[in-house]
Amino acid sequence: MSNKPEGAARVGIGGPVGSGKTALVEQVIPRFARRGTRLAVITNDLVTKEDAERLKRSGLIDPERVVAVEAGACPHTVIREDPTLNLDAAEMLELKFSPLDLVLLESGGDNLASTFSLELVDYWMFVIDVAGGGDIPRKRGPGVLQSDLLIINKSDLAPHVGVDLEQMIAEAEAVRGGKPVIVTNCRTGEGVDTIIDHVARDVLFDT
Amino acid sequence: MGDSSFPSGGFAFSWGLETLKADGIVCDRSGVEAFARSQLRWRWATADRPFLHRAATASDVVELAGLDCEVEVMTLARELREGSRRAGRSLLRAHGSMETPGVSAYRSAMADGNALGHLPVAQGVVWKGMGMAIDEIEAVSAYAVAAGIAQAAVRLALLGPLDAQSMLSALREDMEAVLVEKPPERPFAFTPAAEIAVMRHECGDARLFAN
Repeated sequence: MSNKPEGAARVGIGGPVGSGKTALVEQVIPRFARRGTRLAVITNDLVTKEDAERLKRSGLIDPERVVAVEAGACPHTVIREDPTLNLDAAEMLELKFSPLDLVLLESGGDNLASTFSLELVDYWMFVIDVAGGGDIPRKRGPGVLQSDLLIINKSDLAPHVGVDLEQMIAEAEAVRGGKPVIVTNCRTGEGVDTIIDHVARDVLFDT
Repeated sequence: MGDSSFPSGGFAFSWGLETLKADGIVCDRSGVEAFARSQLRWRWATADRPFLHRAATASDVVELAGLDCEVEVMTLARELREGSRRAGRSLLRAHGSMETPGVSAYRSAMADGNALGHLPVAQGVVWKGMGMAIDEIEAVSAYAVAAGIAQAAVRLALLGPLDAQSMLSALREDMEAVLVEKPPERPFAFTPAAEIAVMRHECGDARLFAN
């Protein structure tokens, strides 16, 4: 389409520790591959290179297309106050694998206050999960409120952790003022196609 | 220019301190201070400073590219070498966006694969472009080394935040001392403990920082 900007789009994936960010990345990679989206991934592992290594070994993507950027113990800083090292990594990936359509940036596990700078990403999603507590949307953290896409993961666990999923979704929709909320189970892939549809329409402009 | 909140990626580098702490070699304020002193005296003053000087007085991009090559071959530890390039590129990226004079030609050479953008060279280019005099450039660069180490030490829980400020004050004398000395004719660095730590960092478990 004529309004498609030059260069790869950058999409951020943030959210608390253990909410399923890496599992989500593992689910979206083959879906993007099938639709012909040329992809690279940057991870901001907080303590180790574990997430980057997991993706590199996954067999889902050329390991050279996965880069870890260290956060200097500051997971917020590297995606918000000073995203230059992530921008540098994105530029290096674009030079090496030109042309790329999309660079995914997976934040290190963080808390509800984390947000991405729009100097770094064009669009970002925030992943929470039902096991983290059904009251998370009510807490109105900046990640829940400001993200372009809110993902409620591990939907299958709701009955086991005493969470009313319907109420959690309703509260998330209420605090987000109409911005989309998507329910997923990243272990099975349920709900992930809807995420791809949103990114394709709102970021890649190629639906 | 030396403001730690200026977005140029400095927060992600410990220049060996993370591993020195993990190995129990640096474990308190006196250890951090000794580390900072050795970095100032035996790396910054003897290697970074001459390159900074030559970058700020270089006549063209070809000369800058030559300085980059010298830094590259002089820097043995991989994560020090890559850290210097990443930090330099980040500083140049920020100043490229701000249209600081002199930066775009150098960045074009980097994009073409003709220059590497090592940190002291980048600092010389950028700060000269900002209209700073060489003594100001040197002072800011030396301060950035000390401040970067102080902040990394706080995040590694080696120092409290007030202790870090008091250490920075104590280091002012050291900075002044190296700044009034004449830089060496030929650049060199000698910080073996830090360099070995950076080499060990490549395969170590401690990975909060890039080096």
